[in-house]
Amino acid sequence: MNQRADAESLDRQLESVMAGVNVKSSSEWNELMAIAANVRKLPDPNFRRRLWGELLDDCGIHEPSHPQFEQVTSATAFASMLPTLIGDQSAVFPPDHRSFLVSFVSHTALIVLIASGIWAGGGKDVLKKAVEISQLTYLPTGDGGGGSGEHNPIPATKGTAPKMTEHQLVPPLIVVRKPDPVLPVQARVVGPPDLKLPQSNQIGDLISSNVSIPSNGSGDGGGAGNGSDTGLGTGPGMGYGPGSDRGFGGGPFRPGAGVTAPRAIYEPEPEYSEEARKIKQQGMVVLSVVVDQQGRPRNIHIARSLGLGLDEKAIEAVKKWKFTPGTKDGIPVAVQVNVEVSFRLY
Amino acid sequence: MKTLASGDGDRFLIEAAQHDRFHFAELYEQNFDRVYAFIDRRVSTREEAEDLTGEVFHRALASIANFRWQGMPFIAWLYGIAMNVLSAHWQKFGKHPAQLAEDWDQGGSDEIELRAILAELVESLSPDQRTVIVRRFIEERSIREIAQELSRSEGAIKQLQLRALENLRVKLGRTV
Repeated sequence: MNQRADAESLDRQLESVMAGVNVKSSSEWNELMAIAANVRKLPDPNFRRRLWGELLDDCGIHEPSHPQFEQVTSATAFASMLPTLIGDQSAVFPPDHRSFLVSFVSHTALIVLIASGIWAGGGKDVLKKAVEISQLTYLPTGDGGGGSGEHNPIPATKGTAPKMTEHQLVPPLIVVRKPDPVLPVQARVVGPPDLKLPQSNQIGDLISSNVSIPSNGSGDGGGAGNGSDTGLGTGPGMGYGPGSDRGFGGGPFRPGAGVTAPRAIYEPEPEYSEEARKIKQQGMVVLSVVVDQQGRPRNIHIARSLGLGLDEKAIEAVKKWKFTPGTKDGIPVAVQVNVEVSFRLY
Repeated sequence: MKTLASGDGDRFLIEAAQHDRFHFAELYEQNFDRVYAFIDRRVSTREEAEDLTGEVFHRALASIANFRWQGMPFIAWLYGIAMNVLSAHWQKFGKHPAQLAEDWDQGGSDEIELRAILAELVESLSPDQRTVIVRRFIEERSIREIAQELSRSEGAIKQLQLRALENLRVKLGRTV
């Protein structure tokens, strides 16, 4: 039997399915009839879209509807659309064709500009991406930091860090127990020696609230601050700041306290990878990104993977993003954010 | 087949939706077919199924902020809402809500999964085949109407219908 005859034969039997009548079909069509009967129970795609539109309304997001435009071909209809141009109208003033020309050119230019912007955005497969803040990180110039203290309940005195050194001989101390060492050596914190930090006559923790009482702070390790090891500040390490290890910088910063989140201002959309498109892979890639003081994304890592090349596509796109940097007390600082990139096929 | 035992991956999506309700889109897309099938099996008309499905998702979106992750997949929470919605609906017609649980025990979950898979497979058909299947079996249009809409002969539409159903049979065989 050829395919045309098969198609006719099947359709005759499907008519009974459509009528809701149970008929005994030939065995060759049994499975197809069962599938057709199940497909009849599937939701209407129009309902699916309509309901999502309603849910967006619930969210206060108004998605533009997609009205069906009727094709207008007759001259009468054209005249009714553009009465001023055609002159078939009841206007007070006579038609001025130059006005139409100016309007047409300016609108065309506007449409081209908008279209080119949309084209430049690319990635029509991507429904939405958003920047979500999960953890704020204070990273002025690096990812190091350190701190220590001597179990003093009074926080370390406010001040500035000593210079950086690669090899620490004397940790930074605010209260020096042996003021006259035989071999005087300047206190240092460990980090790149060419890293310039604000200096003053008072060694101390820059963010401390204790401005008057000399104290090495509540930490331990022999330095100054609330952390541990021989650095200065609230972190564990031999550097300076709330981070760890060496250098100057911070680990996780507490939300609030005057730190604002960076805001994406240029967000070119990612493309779909071929392999993901083939199997219609959808979902969300989450990237951990540090937005530096200049609003550039740095240290991009995958926090949640989708695979099939979509992670790489997300990174590729986010590398091009530009942000307004986050600030602390009004000053731009590096802030770590999670960037969610959703991939959805229409 | 997927069952209620899986679904740990929902957690992140739920947290995203709780943070910004626009992210509810992913949860909606993942669960729409199952919720619809869950309800459609228990009502008599498509209109009823659509109304009640709509109510379930409206309620879910409204209360997503209150959702507390306890290890169960998100669909289980949606089924809970659906059961409440159905219970209220059934009470209007004097039916007893206990029938819902009995129905679930009698293999209702398998049929729901089958329908969810079938919905995905219909989406994976070529545009022509998908249009024919949707118009013919979901919108219940005649072959003649579809032929006119697509500017094809009725014979061509019947052949597309045959190929689409055969494709679904093959894909279903691979999936289930």
